[in-house]
Amino acid sequence: MRWRGTLLYIGQRLLLIAFTVLAVSSIVFIGIHRLPGSVFVSERLRASQMQALLHQYGLDRPLWEQYRDFLLGLLHGDLGISYVNQGVRISPLVGREALVSAEVGGLALLFTIGLGMLLGVLAAIRQNTWLDYLFTSTAVVGYSMPNFVIATFLLLIFAVFLQHLTGGLLYYQIGWTGTFGSLGEIAIPAFALGFPYASVVARLTRASMLEVIRQDYIRTARAKGLPEQLVIVRHALRNALIPVITILGPLVVGILTGSVVIENIFGIPGLGKEFVQSILNRDYNIVVGVFTMYAALVGIANLIVDLLYPLIDPRIRY
Amino acid sequence: MGTQPVAVTSLLAEPMVRRRAGLWTDAWRRLRRNRLALAAAAYLLALVGVAVLAAFWTPYSTTHQGVVLPYQGPTAAHPLGGDALGRDVLSRLMGGAQISLLVGVGTQVVVLVLGVPLGLLAGYFRGWLDAALSLVINIFYGVPDLLVALILIVLLGHSGLGQIIFAIAVTRWMDMARLVRGQAMSLREREFVEAARCCGSGTFKILSRHLLPNALGPIIVQATLGIPQAILFEAFLSFLGLGVQPPTPSWGSMAADGVQAIRISPHIVLAPTIALSVTLMAFNFVGDGLRDALDPRQRR
Repeated sequence: MRWRGTLLYIGQRLLLIAFTVLAVSSIVFIGIHRLPGSVFVSERLRASQMQALLHQYGLDRPLWEQYRDFLLGLLHGDLGISYVNQGVRISPLVGREALVSAEVGGLALLFTIGLGMLLGVLAAIRQNTWLDYLFTSTAVVGYSMPNFVIATFLLLIFAVFLQHLTGGLLYYQIGWTGTFGSLGEIAIPAFALGFPYASVVARLTRASMLEVIRQDYIRTARAKGLPEQLVIVRHALRNALIPVITILGPLVVGILTGSVVIENIFGIPGLGKEFVQSILNRDYNIVVGVFTMYAALVGIANLIVDLLYPLIDPRIRY
Repeated sequence: MGTQPVAVTSLLAEPMVRRRAGLWTDAWRRLRRNRLALAAAAYLLALVGVAVLAAFWTPYSTTHQGVVLPYQGPTAAHPLGGDALGRDVLSRLMGGAQISLLVGVGTQVVVLVLGVPLGLLAGYFRGWLDAALSLVINIFYGVPDLLVALILIVLLGHSGLGQIIFAIAVTRWMDMARLVRGQAMSLREREFVEAARCCGSGTFKILSRHLLPNALGPIIVQATLGIPQAILFEAFLSFLGLGVQPPTPSWGSMAADGVQAIRISPHIVLAPTIALSVTLMAFNFVGDGLRDALDPRQRR
């Protein structure tokens, strides 16, 4: 009985995701193909050559036929061919870039949750001390600052000032060597990506921790003579985490969109950089493909987070 | 005993006067105690002043190149130095303030015009209208808003200020619609609405005279907190080169230019990023202050 409800819920959500992805990709596909001009305009071709190019890419056919082919390709995981880097298949390219983004995003997520929870718990158990005030005000600054501002400040510190300070011995090299960067290369972008959300997590953890810590079962645990660390970690933190889980969904979305800016600043060859580059290059096949992928990723991420709730809080059921 | 009649009349007269201004005087009293919000509001007022001033006068042209040496550090004549093309950073910062505030306020005007009526109607009538609105809102929440704004800018064919405002508003109206819908839904069950209906008030009158004024507090708070969001979006778009087109100054594009030269002259990137952060923070403080003042029941 219980599982049927859950399955039904998952089914509904998947339908909504499919509908969203379809709606989004159609709007973007049709909208973008109706724009005046094409990628090939800048190449100064003769009319016959232009016609041949358009024909080669199927751009001379009616819009609905192109759209049908796009959808059929999408079902097979094929996003078509790049216009600008002629002949390059998009799916493998985007797949590799998604992995790079996932690498940075995953580390950012770790930063966000780990740092956010740590600061939140510390601020809560030291409520109204200088530590609490320091962390709370840092959090306010953190969530008011756009991530590209934080990235800029980190670059200033680690790439510029650190270099001056150590006489060029130790500093952060802007740019990215190889496909998957080294840990040193990833750490700073991931921190810039995660910090604003870490402040949100810290604020939430602090608030819910303060609420939980005053409850009777915590007093009982202390009265039993449990060591304070056990009380905090095993009894209080577990329940304090429930509200934090609720923002995991928006958090994943935020990190996903944040990566668009961060990857461009740090020169990371990921999905976000590709997205902006393809827009600037008018490589519309990639724009549609990457955007569709973003929509699907966000939907699935949100669904996974929602399915996690009942595992952590048995009171929630679908 | 002789004073009693006076006391009675004042008792009769005073509550009448006070009730009329109740919410607002109360809110003002609470807001006045919040030093941080007041300081932030003062900063924002100054910023508005700067933006208005920038429409008529800036120390140098915001777009002319070569008024300073390229990459020039701060000097007496150019307090914030010059950028890579030898433009005066202070003048461009002032121009950028203008763009940021225009986008922030403009977006919220569109959001209000779009979200408030939709939310009121959906919350009051329920039924298919509500179902349709909820579906649209759910779809919008299913896609990352910044990227939708980005795509919209592309679809609108790169971009004047109007297009930017429109693109951001399209991705930001749902919060407002949802808030107003919730307010309308709970208010429509209240006795005074029922009373108005019994008195034969038309739908429009109920919506505009009874529901809207009672939902005004949360709406104002939401609109205020929406301004920094919109400013952030514009900065984000311009940072990526898809927002305000050069040479018009925007804090986002100035920051992007500055990052290119971060090793040579950090002041170019510091000026717009600090201005942006402080402004966003100020709006957040004022918004939070307004929330505490206007809507004391709602907890953060």
